[in-house]
Amino acid sequence: MNTDLKQVREDAIKQIQDAKNSKELEAIRIRLLGRNGLLNQLFAEMRNIAAADRKQFGANLNQLKTILEKLINDQSVSLKTTINPEGKTLKLQTLTSTSLPKLGHLHPITQTERKINALFQNLGFSIYDGPEIETDEFCFQRLNVPSDHPARDMQDTIYIREPDVLLRTHTSSIEARLLSQEKPPFRAAFPGRVYRNEKVTKSNHFIFHQYQGVAVDKDISLKDLIGVFDLLFKNLYGDDVEVRYRCKYYPEVEPGLGLDLRCFNCHGDGCSVCKGAGWIEMGGAGIIHPHLLQFASIDPRQWRGFAFGLGLDRWVMAKFNIKDIRTLLGGNLAYKPNQL
Amino acid sequence: MKIIYSELQKLIPALTADKLRLRDDLTLIGHFVSSVEQIENETVFDLEIRQNRGDCLGYYGIARDLSVFYRIPLCLPQSSLPAISSSYRLPINVTAEKQVKRIQAIRISRLQNSASPPWLKKFLNLHQVNSINTLVDLTNYVMFIFGLPNHAFDVSLSTDNLVWELNRHFSQFTTLDGSVLPLPSGILMVNNPTTALSLSFLGGQSCAISHQTTETVIEMAVYDRTKVRQDYRLLKTTTEAAIRLDKDLDPKLIPIAFTFLINQILQYCRGEISSQLFDYYPSPSPDTQISFDPELPSLYAGIDIPVDFATQTLERLGCQLLPNGNKYSIVPPSIRKDINLEEDLIEEVVRFYGYHQIPKNSPIPIANTRDITPKILYLIEKIKDDFTDLGYDEIRSWPLVNQTENPPTAIITQNSINSDFPYLRQSIIQSLRNQHRHYLRLKLVGQKFFEVGKIFWQENSQYIEQYSLGISNPDPKQLSTDIEKVFGDDCPKDYQMSNDSGQYFAQIVLDNITPPQHYSFLTKTNSAIELTSQIITLDANVSFPEKQNPADLIKQYSQKINQNILWQLVVVDEFFDQKTKQFRYTFRASYYNCDDKLAKNTHSQIFGLKI
Repeated sequence: MNTDLKQVREDAIKQIQDAKNSKELEAIRIRLLGRNGLLNQLFAEMRNIAAADRKQFGANLNQLKTILEKLINDQSVSLKTTINPEGKTLKLQTLTSTSLPKLGHLHPITQTERKINALFQNLGFSIYDGPEIETDEFCFQRLNVPSDHPARDMQDTIYIREPDVLLRTHTSSIEARLLSQEKPPFRAAFPGRVYRNEKVTKSNHFIFHQYQGVAVDKDISLKDLIGVFDLLFKNLYGDDVEVRYRCKYYPEVEPGLGLDLRCFNCHGDGCSVCKGAGWIEMGGAGIIHPHLLQFASIDPRQWRGFAFGLGLDRWVMAKFNIKDIRTLLGGNLAYKPNQL
Repeated sequence: MKIIYSELQKLIPALTADKLRLRDDLTLIGHFVSSVEQIENETVFDLEIRQNRGDCLGYYGIARDLSVFYRIPLCLPQSSLPAISSSYRLPINVTAEKQVKRIQAIRISRLQNSASPPWLKKFLNLHQVNSINTLVDLTNYVMFIFGLPNHAFDVSLSTDNLVWELNRHFSQFTTLDGSVLPLPSGILMVNNPTTALSLSFLGGQSCAISHQTTETVIEMAVYDRTKVRQDYRLLKTTTEAAIRLDKDLDPKLIPIAFTFLINQILQYCRGEISSQLFDYYPSPSPDTQISFDPELPSLYAGIDIPVDFATQTLERLGCQLLPNGNKYSIVPPSIRKDINLEEDLIEEVVRFYGYHQIPKNSPIPIANTRDITPKILYLIEKIKDDFTDLGYDEIRSWPLVNQTENPPTAIITQNSINSDFPYLRQSIIQSLRNQHRHYLRLKLVGQKFFEVGKIFWQENSQYIEQYSLGISNPDPKQLSTDIEKVFGDDCPKDYQMSNDSGQYFAQIVLDNITPPQHYSFLTKTNSAIELTSQIITLDANVSFPEKQNPADLIKQYSQKINQNILWQLVVVDEFFDQKTKQFRYTFRASYYNCDDKLAKNTHSQIFGLKI
């Protein structure tokens, strides 16, 4: 919320809390929420706000309206049950917050996904989705990983019906489906949950979250891809972020890239977070391997694309100061009731 | 894989980069360096080798890459065997013809085996391999240098009547360290007619080399990698040799590496060659030919990479370039099994040109592309916003659960390590219930929360998954009202509802709801807390001579408490005491991520209580 709305909120809350009787409260309600009230005036002023900020301002205003309505309602109940001046009877007054009603919260993974989604949507990407129960064909074969390929070693698979039906080990399976279902040009990003057959510990989980994206068009290049990543990392970590791109092998891309972020904890000196490397591996990317396009009947001489994949869990853990990966899926994750 | 800097310089003597520069450059060209250490006065790099670069599981492959990157010469070791006077032919037989790609073997007599020289012991120690004796250590040394496993047999124990075969006769195998492995049939082995001698990736005790060994047969081989992988996985035994033989190795590299090995043995163990060179190579793999357009690296990278740079890089890599109009016909070196397509050549050029040369400030241009977002994703985002606006918290939980609601239609995992949770959930309420119970254990009561996730079942041999919304609230009326508020006229009438220890749960399958055509979600940010212990809730009475505004009291007292441990502060009661003429307020403070002692101390101090 911008500064003006914060001030409006604080003033309004004080007025409501200071109301001495129902009549005074009703006057405040009309002043704030009535047809010609303050909030409606602010809604009317939205047209003067820059287009880029308008959506967020509107959302904040709607949220403020909900909060004030709830607060006025609560205060109205409270004023009807004021303490008996004679003091003989106890009056219980339950206040569930310091000054606001109980607030709702989005999961840290959702918040992060939305932040990345917003960036990619601005670049013309759609958001896409695919099944969590996958086939070997879409999870491996169409991604250039045949049954004897060493890349399968990295991805211990949980099978539903071995060897054909499994729980997807990466969001690349959505890429395989996207390529097979859509005609180029297209751009899509897809956050999703993936499964690996690993013991659950403080630092490893058998369910985690990835964020994948694909753009297929004519003349796509590594410059387009690297530019997108720079934008993304700056968006998430600020303009001073330092990113390194290095050659890395993934069966589904050629050329392939590894993406490293200068360690946010030690700034490159080496520490336990980056295991002494000074860099933290954030994901992989590259130009889509021609085999993938051929599998999907897309002519690689006519179309080229880039694809990328990022692990979300460690980002989120670092940002929200979560030490145990298990917290992200149920368990100990909670939100302070009155604090955003 | 460990690399000792000084050993690398034997192959590329002009290498002068300091260790940090070399670390960064190796990483940039695809060999991620996870650590650089100084051990025994040597700089040792620990590299993560790309899965398709079996050639780099030896110093030779890494040195080849660095010689291209730094444009410095690669110096190969001595490349010919001494003259062989013996006409004896080794009586080796290969019956596993499909599994064996190439073998070279030779017999050496009158050896003088002993403890290894210090340099060799040090080399192996830095590679975390125990020194055994000179002959064995040299076989390991050459494996590290060229990435090609090899083996020495003591002829007095094994004879030289060796046969490469798939096991049919032996039920067990004793390894060099004395472990006994049960031996299934079909395992690729080297035997003599009566004794199991060696596996493809692991030597055996029956013909182990000792200080007394004077006659040996040395062999170096490349096998069908899928067979080796199948075998070592079946026997649950991984060795340095297995790691290498699991990759696509180059049979054409064997003569160089094998010659180097034999020369090393003759130098350090003396002895003389007492047989002809045995060379089994029935089906030499044909050269790969790739058409290459030297303009393409520029198009793929999005920057100008000179054609000369592209062609010179490929030449330095050992490719043969045959001009063909504006293109080239390229034959990659046989050691580079990963180069099979034009795109592979493009990657070679771009990685040596350097990804760091590609500008970072030119993202893909914004385009007005077609929206292919499935509409249900808009519905999901809208629901998340609506329920958080109503004060609900979003959770995410395990889709795998320990019980199933309807066993005939349940989907069960076959091989999950986490076998206590084998079923894919059939109702999202299962997950919410688990979360509620966990919150109760943490003493978090009266929670309002929701989850959007998949539910799963099978029907007519088909696996079905659907998006589902689960919502939970301690007040069932409020729960129903909130659902109606969110879904409005679209509100399903028959959604599933249940309760558990005072908490109510509802599930709505979202596939049955009409989604919006578009929805712009809000990029909300809020904090989240990782609870590491139970919430501790304590009450305190505080009296005042005047009536107070409870909200002001909460604000005033909240500011006095460390926010890193204050979960919530509520005034739950106010009372006017006739005797003292005082207004008494009861505070209820909840503390988190702290122990009892800290909570009580803080509470007493803030509210002026006696401990």
